[in-house]
Amino acid sequence: MTVDLPTPRVGRAAEAAPQAVRVVLNWGRRYSLWVFNFGLACCAIEFISASMARHDFIRLGVIPFAPGPRQSDLMVVSGTVTDKMAPAIRRLYDQMPEPKYVISYGACSNSGGPYWDSYSVTKGVDQIIPVDVYVPGCPPRPEALLHGILTLQQQIAAETPGHARARSRPRPYAEVPASAGEVTRGLVSPPDTSPSAPGEDRS
Amino acid sequence: MTPQDVASAAWADRVREARDEGYDFFDWLSAVDQTDAEEDPGFDVVCHLIRTDPWDRVLLRTRVGEDTPLASLTALFRGAAWHERETHEMFGIDFTGFDDGTGHGLRPLLLPDGFEGTPLRKSFQLAARASKPWPGAKEPGEGGGERQGADTETPAPRKRARRRLLPPGVPDESWGPR
Repeated sequence: MTVDLPTPRVGRAAEAAPQAVRVVLNWGRRYSLWVFNFGLACCAIEFISASMARHDFIRLGVIPFAPGPRQSDLMVVSGTVTDKMAPAIRRLYDQMPEPKYVISYGACSNSGGPYWDSYSVTKGVDQIIPVDVYVPGCPPRPEALLHGILTLQQQIAAETPGHARARSRPRPYAEVPASAGEVTRGLVSPPDTSPSAPGEDRS
Repeated sequence: MTPQDVASAAWADRVREARDEGYDFFDWLSAVDQTDAEEDPGFDVVCHLIRTDPWDRVLLRTRVGEDTPLASLTALFRGAAWHERETHEMFGIDFTGFDDGTGHGLRPLLLPDGFEGTPLRKSFQLAARASKPWPGAKEPGEGGGERQGADTETPAPRKRARRRLLPPGVPDESWGPR
């Protein structure tokens, strides 16, 4: 027997919290950003470089290599978003727990970049998910990512906990949150076997 | 390297001949849109074969007309199936006798589900510009997503000049204002 439970929310108490508590909550959030690197192209190499010893964004509290989107707070979309990849980005973004933040890293994920005219490239990842910070460049240097992270941390410090996504309506598609039912899916059965199985006529 | 031109009717035979000569490493197969050529417009189907010992390469090329099928190479090189599927979805060229062992025939390989059109043809319209102004610029300091025609004092001559400069795939003014 299953019981339908409402989606758990943590914002209720935080919304009514006094200012000092909000400061502490935001302070905790901004310095423990588990990051989920959605690396799609060469920008991902710069991201990896930023996570390594020379630039080392762990000193800013950004912890790379989260086990998956369900354990992460920050998604960095670094690279060329294609229309074929876009559903996967949206799906993994929806799997991240709130509060969640997105940095769009590089010209391609900002706007499509040099592939703006392409038949297959999405004209900016902000068409499918809400973006907090855009980092320009092709590719941006790791220092640019560090600056983007600092900018994001300033935004987190200024926000009201529980209202990270409170924006004016009507909201574009990218900012409409998905329900739990939309991001869970039943088992997918394997495709039908072909009339002649591959390899039969090889001999 | 200079490509060897082959008549489209002799395509599979010529490739078989090359394979029997030792060029038995199939490298790639693709196509070039030549539908705006002066004579014999169509598509150049190009195939690159390699002989490993002694090292040599051969580039075979044939011209097929629009909507004219070409003989498939999958009976000669099983690995040609992916290349022919990609050429089929990108250029709309049909390959007769295509068989990759699955029995599904020619079908899209890389394009997303539901994609309509053959995007590498010059006649394929890149519709993004019809819905949004191009955010780029040809010179530093230009652009920024502004409407190109908005600030011109003499719109008529400039419009004509731009029409000639439109690269293939960019929607012309018949797609409406932008």
